[in-house]
Amino acid sequence: MVIDVFLALGLVVLAWQALIGGSLFRGIVMFIVFGMVLTLAWAWLGSPDLAMAEAAIGAGVTGALIMIAYWRLRRINAVEPRDPSPARSRLALVIAVLATGLVGAIGLAAVSALTGDATAARVMNETLPDTGLGNPITGVLIVFRNLDTLLEVAVVLAAYIAARAALGRESADLPLPPAPDTPLLTPLVVTLAPLTMVVAIYLLKAGSQYPGGAFQASALLAALGVLLVLTGRVGPAAAANWLTRAGLVIGTLVFCLVGLGMLVIGAPLLAIPGIWAVYLIEAAMMISIGLTLVLLFAGAPGLSGKRS
Amino acid sequence: MNHPEIWMLAAAGLFGLGLYSLIIARHLLRQLIAIKIMGSAVFLVLVVTAGLVDGSLDGIAQALVLTGIVIAVAAIAFALALVVSLAETTGSISLNPDDDDGR
Repeated sequence: MVIDVFLALGLVVLAWQALIGGSLFRGIVMFIVFGMVLTLAWAWLGSPDLAMAEAAIGAGVTGALIMIAYWRLRRINAVEPRDPSPARSRLALVIAVLATGLVGAIGLAAVSALTGDATAARVMNETLPDTGLGNPITGVLIVFRNLDTLLEVAVVLAAYIAARAALGRESADLPLPPAPDTPLLTPLVVTLAPLTMVVAIYLLKAGSQYPGGAFQASALLAALGVLLVLTGRVGPAAAANWLTRAGLVIGTLVFCLVGLGMLVIGAPLLAIPGIWAVYLIEAAMMISIGLTLVLLFAGAPGLSGKRS
Repeated sequence: MNHPEIWMLAAAGLFGLGLYSLIIARHLLRQLIAIKIMGSAVFLVLVVTAGLVDGSLDGIAQALVLTGIVIAVAAIAFALALVVSLAETTGSISLNPDDDDGR
């Protein structure tokens, strides 16, 4: 009870700090702290999978993306908007209070509603052992509702293509902060890079039985990529080479090929033939999502060996 | 999870704060953070209302939210590309039409 109140109140206060008043930089930092507290909340509610995803993606990668966009906007030296007018905030207050009441009423009604015995989750828990998987979330993502996951990988690819289209050809390479010049950098990178890869592949492997999986692994790889870009070990390239293109589409491609291949042997579309297929699809997804997030951070169509 | 009501109240508060900030904020980055926080409130509602099934959290709701977290970061990345592109083209980081009419 005490910890529930503490975490829930912490979330609201941090959201307040991130959104209302103060400088934008402070707001971004508070938003990242909000993500970390939300991570604790997921863990406390009993979902280590969501906690890991929130820490790596929700707080980590999103925070890095917003921070680099803030830095780029400062460099462009765009006009900062003025403070909002009081008339607008009076109306906003009424709307916000009504929305709060609505979400609260729906939520409180939903948690006090009675549920039947045969929920989808119970059926899923009963069928899960047949798939050879031990982690119900991986089971839902890759076996039971894999059309959602296939479309999700496609959405991530679409986001990359749309971001390229929005940035246009002239700004092929958005500015990046200069790499820090300190002798400690090389030991940091050579220690962290292999460790991160090992942990990412472990998460992918463990994801079939324990908390973990392709998304958490891809977020770790994306974090490694962000580190390599910021330290200048990897630089933006004006065009994507064939390796980058292959990495971007491999997740969608492998998922589609496995799903369509099932039709050829007479099984239903997107049926998963075995645990090897789960690993195959997850590994391909890990590469695609991780690479896409790094490219979105770098703001470039491709990556090259070293930044000049 | 013994106290779902506390989390529902927190989610309602987060959603309201996010919506308020989305309306009054001028800076597009602040508005994006507001949308992200509203999204987190929805994720909380989804997982907490699904509740416990056989002693652990509903796996389907968790998988749905996990998908949502990844889609959210893809959408934010695209939105940030649009914001940077807008600032490069127009020199402004705001979408409010009354910024231009001199009021």
